[in-house]
Amino acid sequence: MSADIRVRNLVKHYQVADREGGLRKSLRSVVRRRHRSVRAVDDITFNVQPGEIVGFLGPNGAGKTTALKLLSGLLHPTDGEATVLGFIPWERRREFLSQITLIMGQRQQLYWDLPALDTFLVNKAVFGLRDADYQESLGLLVDLLDLDEILTKPVRQLSLGERMKAELAAGLLHRPRVLFLDEPTIGLDVTMQQRIRDFVTRYNATTGATILLTSHYMADVNALAERVVVIDHGKLLYDGPLSGLIDRYAPHKTITLRLERPVERRDVAAFGEVVEADDLQVSVRTDKAQAASVTARMLAELPVADLSVEDPPLEYVIDQVFHRRES
Amino acid sequence: MIGRLARIAGAYFRSALQEEFAYRGDLFGNVIRSVLNLGTAIGGVAVIFSHTETLGGWTLGQTLSLLGIFVFVNGFVAMFMSPSLNRVVEEVREGTFDCVLMKPVPALFLASARRFAVWHVSDIVLGAIVLGVALAGLDVRASGWGVLLFVALLACGVAIVYAIWLALTTLVFWFVRVANVTMIFNLFFQTGRYPIEVYPFWLRQLLTFVFPVAFVTTVPAQAVTGRDPSWLVWIAPVIAVVAVLAATRFWRFGLSRYTSASS
Repeated sequence: MSADIRVRNLVKHYQVADREGGLRKSLRSVVRRRHRSVRAVDDITFNVQPGEIVGFLGPNGAGKTTALKLLSGLLHPTDGEATVLGFIPWERRREFLSQITLIMGQRQQLYWDLPALDTFLVNKAVFGLRDADYQESLGLLVDLLDLDEILTKPVRQLSLGERMKAELAAGLLHRPRVLFLDEPTIGLDVTMQQRIRDFVTRYNATTGATILLTSHYMADVNALAERVVVIDHGKLLYDGPLSGLIDRYAPHKTITLRLERPVERRDVAAFGEVVEADDLQVSVRTDKAQAASVTARMLAELPVADLSVEDPPLEYVIDQVFHRRES
Repeated sequence: MIGRLARIAGAYFRSALQEEFAYRGDLFGNVIRSVLNLGTAIGGVAVIFSHTETLGGWTLGQTLSLLGIFVFVNGFVAMFMSPSLNRVVEEVREGTFDCVLMKPVPALFLASARRFAVWHVSDIVLGAIVLGVALAGLDVRASGWGVLLFVALLACGVAIVYAIWLALTTLVFWFVRVANVTMIFNLFFQTGRYPIEVYPFWLRQLLTFVFPVAFVTTVPAQAVTGRDPSWLVWIAPVIAVVAVLAATRFWRFGLSRYTSASS
């Protein structure tokens, strides 16, 4: 099976005007702009197979959005190659644009003063959808996103989460085979984030669409993507299963104890790095390989009331990835 | 292709209608604005003609015909052109222009035929009425060819306005904030209220060759009021075609710059 998304040594540099603070320097920049070249995407190579969900991870400004824009045809690369569904994205062919979608959490296409349904009808014409196909897509999306109440209210009266749901539907009516989702849950409350996540999973399962998503909510990536691609400063740092990322960058377990009575801190520190310590609650980080023996020793030597062993939170893992790169 | 684009434009137009119906107050505001604008314009012409018989060689009736054409074209532009093109400026600044580029439809089409300010229909209607009344008073006999020529010249004028506005809009790809573009445009466009002959030599040249407002009102008015058509009549189609081609090329150039330079 050939890859839906194929990226080879993709590079994107762009010029940004360097503006310094202060009136005098601003004044000077009116006449003479100093430009600086930013390597937003720097020699990235990866494939995405049909039906896969891949999470794009990286801090702000890492180049995630630039990469998505390249792959959806909004930008021309400085160098390198990419194909999506066999098309070169930046040629922006109609057949290509009809089969993909780019949904950005911070940009909206819905008519503000009209019910979302009206935007849908415009998109139906724009994508040249036949009535039957449109009805079928709409039915599926209404079902998966629970849109019944939402579609007939003017968009300006919707909550942020409802708007995002309508926005997703607007971007998916034409049944794209490849979805680029840029921060689809940004700014939403936890429950709504969860619902959007569930939707993405179910949509993927129902339609078999290939999904590449960025997010800086680790919960998104955790729930959605079995495979992650980590980039920072435009470079690809890791590409593989999420569990592998944890093994490689944070091979730790966190053991949390509830104690029957307070103990000396150094008695606990003997078991590993103390992450958190209250009177009766202590968390210790230990090597993954030794987690079992450390646990046994703790149970034997400390007044343990309760004990749990956990993988480190993904935030911590990512932190380690970027930290290690810098040091 | 044409049929498909027409269907898409139709869908956008329907949405625009629905949007406008959401704010009914705009209808009354616009009608009042149209009437007031027209009143002042006619008043201005009346004041001028209380001192003189002709204006740059144009009689009162001919000048009013020209004013009718101006109001008509102004309304047409405000209804069909400026909403879409102004929207492009906003979208580039806000970043939502990306959503436009993701549609499987030529960007130039979406930039030009997506938004409509429906209530400006009041200007179009009033302009047509003024033209009709003024012409009735002039006693010109319109032949079939005359009408055809007039419509063709009017179309050339509208095409020229479109080209100018598109070119000005395209500047947004370099400067991002180009709200003043509308002001510059209007400054020149408003000179079309009067026949080009009233302006000094240098401004006439400017309004003929650089910012060709002459072709928008003066030239069609010459044709329809039975004035001796100047040689400009014959180059109007040429100017229109050249202007539109140049503007669309410039647009493509700006767009390619946008897609290769923005972050």
